[in-house]
Amino acid sequence: MLEIINLKTTVNDKSILNGVNLKIKSGEVHAIMGPNGSGKSTLANVLSGKPGYDISGQILFDGENLNNVSIEERAQKGIFLAFQYPLEIPGVNTNNFLKTSLNSIRKSRGEKELDTLTFLKLVKEKSSELGIDEKFLSRQLNVGFSGGEKKKNEILQMKLLEPKLAVLDETDSGLDIDALRIVADGVNSSKTENNAFLIITHYQRLLDYIKPDFVHVLSKGKIIKTGNSELGQQLEKSGYTNL
Amino acid sequence: MNQNLEFNIDNIKNISLQERQSREESLKLFSEEGFPNKRLEEWKFTDFKKILENNFDRIESGRIMSGETQVKQIEDFKHNFVILSNGILKSSNFNYEDKNKIKIKEYLNNNFKRSKSLNPLINLNDALFEGGYSLEVSSNYKFDKPLVVYNYFSDNLKNKIINNKNSIILADYAHLELIEINSDISKNNFIQNNYTDIEIGQNSSFKNYNVQGCKSKGFYYKFVKSSLKKKSNYENYIFSSGLKFNKIEEDVDINGEEANCKIQSALFLNLDSHQEIKTKINHLKPNCSSYQKIKNVLNKNCKSAFQGKIFVKDIAQKTDAYQLSKALILNDTSEFSAKPELEIYADDVKCSHGSTSGSISQDSIYYLMTRGINKKNAIELLTKAFLNEVISNIKSVEIKKFIEKNLDRQIYEH
Repeated sequence: MLEIINLKTTVNDKSILNGVNLKIKSGEVHAIMGPNGSGKSTLANVLSGKPGYDISGQILFDGENLNNVSIEERAQKGIFLAFQYPLEIPGVNTNNFLKTSLNSIRKSRGEKELDTLTFLKLVKEKSSELGIDEKFLSRQLNVGFSGGEKKKNEILQMKLLEPKLAVLDETDSGLDIDALRIVADGVNSSKTENNAFLIITHYQRLLDYIKPDFVHVLSKGKIIKTGNSELGQQLEKSGYTNL
Repeated sequence: MNQNLEFNIDNIKNISLQERQSREESLKLFSEEGFPNKRLEEWKFTDFKKILENNFDRIESGRIMSGETQVKQIEDFKHNFVILSNGILKSSNFNYEDKNKIKIKEYLNNNFKRSKSLNPLINLNDALFEGGYSLEVSSNYKFDKPLVVYNYFSDNLKNKIINNKNSIILADYAHLELIEINSDISKNNFIQNNYTDIEIGQNSSFKNYNVQGCKSKGFYYKFVKSSLKKKSNYENYIFSSGLKFNKIEEDVDINGEEANCKIQSALFLNLDSHQEIKTKINHLKPNCSSYQKIKNVLNKNCKSAFQGKIFVKDIAQKTDAYQLSKALILNDTSEFSAKPELEIYADDVKCSHGSTSGSISQDSIYYLMTRGINKKNAIELLTKAFLNEVISNIKSVEIKKFIEKNLDRQIYEH
């Protein structure tokens, strides 16, 4: 599904990714761990198409080179990024945003746009699975939400949009244990043979709930080690310095 | 510059000798200075004289018959209505109300002896005005449905200036919501110069919404003088986008204790439109509040200005006055100017003012795009969000819907 070949990025002449190679197939869960400043979030941003990076190398999604594909088209093709710091957007009603987003994506897939009633029914169902109070949905997008509520909102968007590849950028940071479980359940219940997950995290904790097929260690802009879920547990004990 | 001004008092019918003299005096005062330019502090950001010279070879006054008025009434909510055609009161309908409690008639000047203004456009209005309406609401009468004033202009107004006056008087314990909708079918440039007097009685409340119904060739100037008695409420909303030139001046005297005044505006400006709002809120009695929030979105090639002054008299202790103007500039061909002013002579007051202008947040656009929303739609969503802060303050659900629809039309059809 996703193939990253020798990906290098620089921002203002500072190089961040120094030749990342990664292959993700449908049905797989990959985790990327690594110390601060190793380039984890940059990798997530570059996958989403965020502007401001000089890029060389290739990102292939379902065989198509994404280099010239715009941000919204990537989303429409099925790439989803759960933000490390979801933005607060005053004045934008959460439900209205969710509906606009979902219908943009449905439209691009050639599906019928949902009317308000059908949409509300769907969002009600998905949000109750995540324990999100419906009242949040009539509030302004992320404004005044707690850290945990913002992260749950990201997972709600993921569940609504049903992406092929979901990239979760430190979705676990700032979550209490209950919220962590809810988020993990949200991911586990979304897993199918046709989609895949790339989970970026600092801690093994999340991986206790979402079992990855592969764990990669990113350091200084390169993947320096790849293993199975035991690698995560090992890192938790020994840290990155011994690698 | 060879601009011909043909301003003629002789054609105005049914006026006393005294009134004629007063009008002539006003016209003389106007003629000394002519149309305002940047030398006047009130016109700091705009040379109105020049704008008119660039758009009119000549300007002439005089009553214009409109023939059949083609006013398309709104169907969004049930309402009473008043129709003005080229500034003249044409018809009115108060079917939802107790007609004994409402007086509506053609405006008649009974105050022409008042001292002369320093404002050239008010002098011009005093000299040349013809018609307009005067509305009186009896005490304890609360309107059941809103009143819509259709301010219609016909297609034969080439080079015309229309001067008229309106007067709205609410006695004590009265309530009225008034929506003023400008619309015209003119293919040529014309000028509308309006003076409106508002008196709000004790414990009364008056809400006024200014809406521009269509694109227009009109150059609009409106001066609103309002006076608030004890415990009264005045709310004014300005949504009049889409004009080549529009300036609204609000001069509010808070003359009674515990009275409140709110002026709010949400504007989406585009191609060659020019919009100015100038306010002066005079806190003359203690324990009153005023609130001003002006939000402008400027797309391509447009200009907007806000001059807001809060004046607090020495006896007006415990005044709570707030003023904020924010501009979102979508294109660097546009220009926003602001001049907030405070003049305070009392020592126990809370007054604040602020003004910001900036471009749209790139991070917000990026976030929305990662959710499959294209850039154009993301900008529209954020534009609406910016203006929504004012729209959401409208309490009446049906009026809010109507205003939103009108704004959507401006945002999505540019």
